[in-house]
Amino acid sequence: MYKYIALFFLTTLLNATDSRDLVIDKLLKEVQLLKKSVSELKQNQIIVQNKQREDEQYVDELYDFAENTETRTLEDKLKFGVTFKTSIDNFSKKYADGYEVKSNNMWSNKLMLNMTADVTTDMKIYTRFSMFKYWGNGVKYPYSSYDNMQGRVPSDSSIYVERAYLDWLFNKKSYIPMAITVGRQPSADGPSHQFKDNTSRKATYSALLYDGAADGIVFTFDISKVISNHDSFFRLGYAKGFGYSESSTNVGNAYIGASNNDLKDTNVYGLFFDTTIPSIKHSLVQFSYSKIDDIVANHLDTNTTQNKNIGSLDMYGLMFEISNLKNSNIDLFLHYGYISSNSNSNDYMNYGGLLNAPNDSSSKSGDAIWLGTRYGFGEKQKYKIGIEYNHGSKNWVSLTQGSFDVYNKLSTRGDAYEAYFMYEINRFANLRLGYIRIDYDYSKSGWFIGESQKIDSALNTKNELKELQSIYFKMSVNY
Amino acid sequence: MKNIIYSVLLLFIFFSINLNAFDAESIAKDLNLSAGSKAIVQWKRVFKSERKMKRYKIYTLSSEVKKSLEEYLINHAIDSDKPTVAGRF
Repeated sequence: MYKYIALFFLTTLLNATDSRDLVIDKLLKEVQLLKKSVSELKQNQIIVQNKQREDEQYVDELYDFAENTETRTLEDKLKFGVTFKTSIDNFSKKYADGYEVKSNNMWSNKLMLNMTADVTTDMKIYTRFSMFKYWGNGVKYPYSSYDNMQGRVPSDSSIYVERAYLDWLFNKKSYIPMAITVGRQPSADGPSHQFKDNTSRKATYSALLYDGAADGIVFTFDISKVISNHDSFFRLGYAKGFGYSESSTNVGNAYIGASNNDLKDTNVYGLFFDTTIPSIKHSLVQFSYSKIDDIVANHLDTNTTQNKNIGSLDMYGLMFEISNLKNSNIDLFLHYGYISSNSNSNDYMNYGGLLNAPNDSSSKSGDAIWLGTRYGFGEKQKYKIGIEYNHGSKNWVSLTQGSFDVYNKLSTRGDAYEAYFMYEINRFANLRLGYIRIDYDYSKSGWFIGESQKIDSALNTKNELKELQSIYFKMSVNY
Repeated sequence: MKNIIYSVLLLFIFFSINLNAFDAESIAKDLNLSAGSKAIVQWKRVFKSERKMKRYKIYTLSSEVKKSLEEYLINHAIDSDKPTVAGRF
């Protein structure tokens, strides 16, 4: 009996030993596998860490690069642009007495350096320096120092500050955002000269009424939300058309500009309303009223016994303009201007008074129309043709003394026709071949002083231009 | 002169009623693309890269619309020729 019991325990013990070995083997294998996995994990972790380190280094490099670029951008307080124009004009002039003069091969250069400073997101300063001269001619044109002609008419190679103004936006998030523009204003090369110049709008006011440099202050009210029409602005403007100064009133090294009893400053006040035609994108409608008070007969004449204030002028304007009408590559514009004078009894020498003959102080009125179109065709509309027409009545006059072109065609008391063909070399440069013809019906186009007379009956007809023609070729780069 | 004024005004009305075409500005707005956010060369790069066009959802547009959109974005890029008007940045 004891034998059997002993045999049973021995067998059981042997079996247990075998199964324990098996378990140990299994456990060992599992440990091996785990070791391998851990090792792989460690390797992967090292790879990931290395990759992460590389990425971090790359991000750091990118950050440094971005920050360097940002620093350089922040350092660039001024941005520059340049416009360069070369023209060849072939003039043909016919005077009232039949005398004809040709001025062919008249080359000129115009350089405009544009500079802007983004002081803050709400404040910007704009400046434009201009030089305009005929080739080979360093003679200073006497009227080039007229305040509104500076840098605008061919003269010597002097550089004038044509624009220098501060734009300050405030109440940006309010119902009526506002802006103040103070300084030498963007009042030259305005709409709709940009079509012929192949640029965007370059000034605030209709060029039929205003074209030239001007110092002033303009309050702009963005009333788009008020009238539920985008790009609608109401502007109030004040400018100094002429500021009196004389050497006898100097203090230190400077003259004091001061109105005196003999000659008052010319002040210009204006109301302007810009909006768009709701159904037409890229359209502009402008209504305006301006009062030019205390007009001075001759800005350059310092003799106040003969140079006087000759009266005031009310000027009304209306313009429509559409760019790329419904993607048709057609641009259209129409401007209308009306003036009414309030002459006083002052005459300037023997020229007379404001739009009047000597000893005449009657009120005069005049109007003008300017319209045109441009069509772009070919690949990317590189080719453009345009036509323009303007007509001014007997007493038409406006503030275009610093006009876009040398002809001051928008001051014409008569008819002016212009046609041109343009080739866009690239987005910045273009060539323009054009023809302009001006038929003067009345004398003294562009003059505030003196009575306008029918050209053929004008006194001293020898000096009265009856017809002006020019075939011109222009190259313009705006970068 | 009145005839000329009337003719021009009629021409304005005629075109405003009869011409219709897609508007690149609206498409840009729909795609949340701000032309002034990039310079001319950067917009040109966008339209040369399929990956970037996919990113800006331009890829699905027809070639004609794409071309028009590209032209609009380039014409209004931050370094493009901008209007100069008092009180408007």
